[in-house]
Amino acid sequence: MNVENLERALAEIGLHGIVEVRGSLAVLRMEADAGLADDELRFLAVDAAERNGFTHLALEVVDDADRAAIHRD
Amino acid sequence: MTEPRGVPATSLADEKERALVAWLRDRGSVLLGFSGGVDSAYLASVAAEALGRERVLAVIGRSASYPEEQWRVAREVATHLDLPVAEIDTEEMADARYVSNPSNRCYFCKTELWSKLAPLARDRGLAVVIDGTNADDLSGHRPGMQAAREHGVRSPLAEVGMTKRDVRDRSRARGLPTWSQPSAPCLSSRLQYGLSVTPERLGQVERAERRLRDLGISGDLRVRHHGDLARVELSREMLALWLSPIPMRMMIAAVRAAGFARVAIDLRGFRSGSLNILNEVTAA
Repeated sequence: MNVENLERALAEIGLHGIVEVRGSLAVLRMEADAGLADDELRFLAVDAAERNGFTHLALEVVDDADRAAIHRD
Repeated sequence: MTEPRGVPATSLADEKERALVAWLRDRGSVLLGFSGGVDSAYLASVAAEALGRERVLAVIGRSASYPEEQWRVAREVATHLDLPVAEIDTEEMADARYVSNPSNRCYFCKTELWSKLAPLARDRGLAVVIDGTNADDLSGHRPGMQAAREHGVRSPLAEVGMTKRDVRDRSRARGLPTWSQPSAPCLSSRLQYGLSVTPERLGQVERAERRLRDLGISGDLRVRHHGDLARVELSREMLALWLSPIPMRMMIAAVRAAGFARVAIDLRGFRSGSLNILNEVTAA
C-alpha cells in the first residue's frame, strides 16, 4: 500500500486531503466534499485506492473543530 | 447459480419450490430458526402450507446482537403467516470467544443458538431443525454453517438449490411482505474483527442505522464499527443522493449523535462481507 502515491493520485482528480491508513482501509480526510456525489469521480477515486493496494476508500469530511487534526505538521 | 438458457427463471423457481415442498413433507415436521428475514419468512410460509401450521414451530433467538427493529419485523411476519412462534434468549455475549470477535465469531453464536434449539425440537417432537440458508450462502466465509452441521441442522433452501433471487421471486408471488426487504445480518457483523463485541458498541450501530433510516436512506445500509470511526456503506443509488453537501452533513450528524466520534462514507458503497474483504478473510 502506498499512501503517498494515493494522495497524489487523488489530488490529480481534485481531491486534496490527507489519507489516514487503517489496514487496507484508506480514509480520505477533507475539508470539503469536492463533488463526490458524481459517479465518475467516485469511480476514479476508488480505482486510485485499489491501484495503490487499498481495498476500501472512505471519505471523512472534517469540520472546523477537526480541522487542526488534518494537518500533519 | 447459473440457470439454463431459454428457461424462465420464474419457472425454475417454481420447480425448486415444488422440490422444497417435497423435502419438507419427507420430514413431516420442523423447528425453524426464524429471524423474520427474507429467507426464513419464505421458508416458514412454505413449511406451514406444506405441513400444516401445527407441525411447524418458528423460534426467534433474542440477544443484544439481534436488532430490536428486526425482532419487531419477525413478530409481524409471524402474525401475518399465523405461525406458532417461540422466543428464546441466547447467551453468546457470555462466551469470551464470541466477545473477542474473531473471524469465526459466527461459529460461537450459532453453536449457542443450535444447542438450545436442537433439544427444544426433541421436546416438542419435531423431526428436524432447519434454517434459512440459501444456495448463495454456500460460498463465502460462513463459519456459522459449521455449527449447523455439528448440530444436525438442515438447510432445505440450499439443498434444493434456491438462490436469494428465487426466494425473493417466490416470496413476491406469495404476497409476503418480506420479498423486497434488504438482508439484515446481526449487528455484530458490523464490528471490525478483533474489536470486542459489547452491548454499547452494538447499541451505537443500531442507533446509527435507525437514525439513517429515519432520514430516508433506503436499500442496503451498513454502519461498520472501526472503534472511534464509523464507516457508512450505502447502495450506489443512495451514495449519489447522499454525498451532496447538505444531505451528507445530515448523515454525519445522525451517526455522530449515535455515539461515534468520527464518521466516514465508503466511496464504493455497500459490499456484502465488506469486513471480510478488509481483513482478507476468505472461505475455508
